[in-house]
Amino acid sequence: MTPKEPALSVSGLRRAFPMGRGLPELVAVDDVSFELAPGGSLGVVGESGSGKSTVARMLVGLERADAGEIRVAGRARGVRERGRAARLRRAREVQLVFQNPLESLDRRLTAAQCLCHVLRLHGADRAGADRRALELLEQVGLGAREAEARPHRLSGGQRQRLAIARALAADPSVLVLDEAVSALDVSVQAQILRLLSRIREESGVSLVFVSHDLAVVGQVTDEVLVMYRGRAVEHGPTRRVLREPEHPYTRMLASSVPGPGWDPAEVVRLRAEFAAASEV
Amino acid sequence: MTAQTPTSAVTANTTRAGARGSGGVVLWTSAGFLVTVVLAAVFAPLVAPADPNAIDFGDIWAPPGADHWLGTDQMGRDLLSRVVHGARESLLGPLLLLLLASVLGVAMGTLAAWRRGWVDVLLARVTDVMYAFPGLLFVVLVIAVFGSGMTTAVVALGLAFTPIIAKFTRSVALAECAKPYIDAYRVQGVSGLVICLRYLIPNMAPALLGYLVVLFGEGLMSLATLSFLGFGAQPPSSEWGLMVQEGQSALIQGVLWPALVPGAAIALVVVAFNIVGVRVADRLNSRR
Ligand SMILES: Nc1ncnc2c1ncn2[C@@H]1O[C@H](COP(=O)(O)OP(=O)(O)OP(=O)(O)O)[C@@H](O)[C@H]1O
Ligand SMILES: [Mg+2]
Repeated sequence: MTPKEPALSVSGLRRAFPMGRGLPELVAVDDVSFELAPGGSLGVVGESGSGKSTVARMLVGLERADAGEIRVAGRARGVRERGRAARLRRAREVQLVFQNPLESLDRRLTAAQCLCHVLRLHGADRAGADRRALELLEQVGLGAREAEARPHRLSGGQRQRLAIARALAADPSVLVLDEAVSALDVSVQAQILRLLSRIREESGVSLVFVSHDLAVVGQVTDEVLVMYRGRAVEHGPTRRVLREPEHPYTRMLASSVPGPGWDPAEVVRLRAEFAAASEV
Repeated sequence: MTAQTPTSAVTANTTRAGARGSGGVVLWTSAGFLVTVVLAAVFAPLVAPADPNAIDFGDIWAPPGADHWLGTDQMGRDLLSRVVHGARESLLGPLLLLLLASVLGVAMGTLAAWRRGWVDVLLARVTDVMYAFPGLLFVVLVIAVFGSGMTTAVVALGLAFTPIIAKFTRSVALAECAKPYIDAYRVQGVSGLVICLRYLIPNMAPALLGYLVVLFGEGLMSLATLSFLGFGAQPPSSEWGLMVQEGQSALIQGVLWPALVPGAAIALVVVAFNIVGVRVADRLNSRR
């Protein structure tokens, strides 16, 4: 692996869902390409239904891509790879933190067990897994009390921390987070975002941060990809996109972010402008 | 034989138990009764006052009394000793047939929900055919081929119950597979087989156990029916269905006890099992 090789490189990704007889298929993701440097952080923003989750699911292999290629550290992720070794290698390439933390955790397992199962699967012995599980829990700010708790006894923020720890347990080179903080209240959001930045510094993992909220994405990413109806309409450094959005859709999203000098009337005007532009 | 309509039986039972409220005398009486029956079955030789097969032609069709608490049958055998000993076969049979049916049914239902596609379609067709085929006819056919006897009856009924459990398991598994935690296991690199055996089935267990508990009553009655018809347990066994059948000759003579005692045993155990079972099922499911 050459040092300049991107951690993740996606080109021409496309996914269409058949909508039933006589109806045109729904193109959820259309020709999406991007690259992510090792240790880098990319935001994927767009409104509901723009295809963000579909991109995230294709990255981890839960959804098949109709076209396009996903490369992790230069190695193409095959469509169908069989065998234990291939499965585990894929898991160590990309991990996903799901949109809904409670539903994505096994209700039968305590936090510590949840992590131990992943660690054991990926080759740790019993003692090693126990030790590493506690380290991971500590890394995401969960203590001994939470370690023995099952998901329904944890708070929303704690569940999300556990979900992040579980994704890290496989030691992936890329971590994809799908609306990781959307269900949390603002102060907990800020904690989780700080946690993610710290994890990125400590472990060098690359982040793909999926969110409908440009403000949140602005806090944790270097680059941002704006999706609208399955297409990438804008792609660039997060600061630039936030300050000088080029595409009318991004301008509208950016104007919706409350901050100094935020003017609701401006949001309304840009929305109207964007609506008029997309009519054409 | 009611093997074809367990779903309606389950829903009916659920609403009935739901209306009864929590706790209650009925529930604890039923539970106490079941514990007593199981203990009596386990310790039958100690509990039974007499040898269940001791024939005494001088004392046939004796009414309940000091010598024979529940009376005697057409051969003068002590009815209490016979029901107590018969409890073993009568309870163990349904247990074994459910064990067979749930191993096969849970495997089929889980496989169908997991693989979808042609596997699901194929299994759906197989279960539809088995479902539509009258259970009794199927069982009688199996017995016609392999001969009467408790083992054949248990295996045949186990096969007849399999599609019912498969269908139920499939619907539970479909809902469970749609949950993201299953996707999470895939993303972690866990193999499909391990996901099913180690995570999916244990997560379905409360729902499945609740259903099996109610099916137990069905199994007991179906097996007793087969014995009653002469396809199941054979003399001199005191399996309850067979006892009812042997009691028929007494009924014609106007003597109630020989048929009533085992008949009541079947009815009470089934009712008690459903009362306790539905409550246990509710508990297990609400804890999820
Ligand atoms: N399995 C599927 N079958 C059919 N259509 C689907 C499927 N998954 C997603 N879609 C459609 O694809 C489009 C994009 O969905 P996706 O979940 O990727 O959006 P999203 O950007 O994540 O939205 P949200 O912010 O609401 O989570 C939607 O119109 C959705 O209805
Ligand atoms: Mg989504």
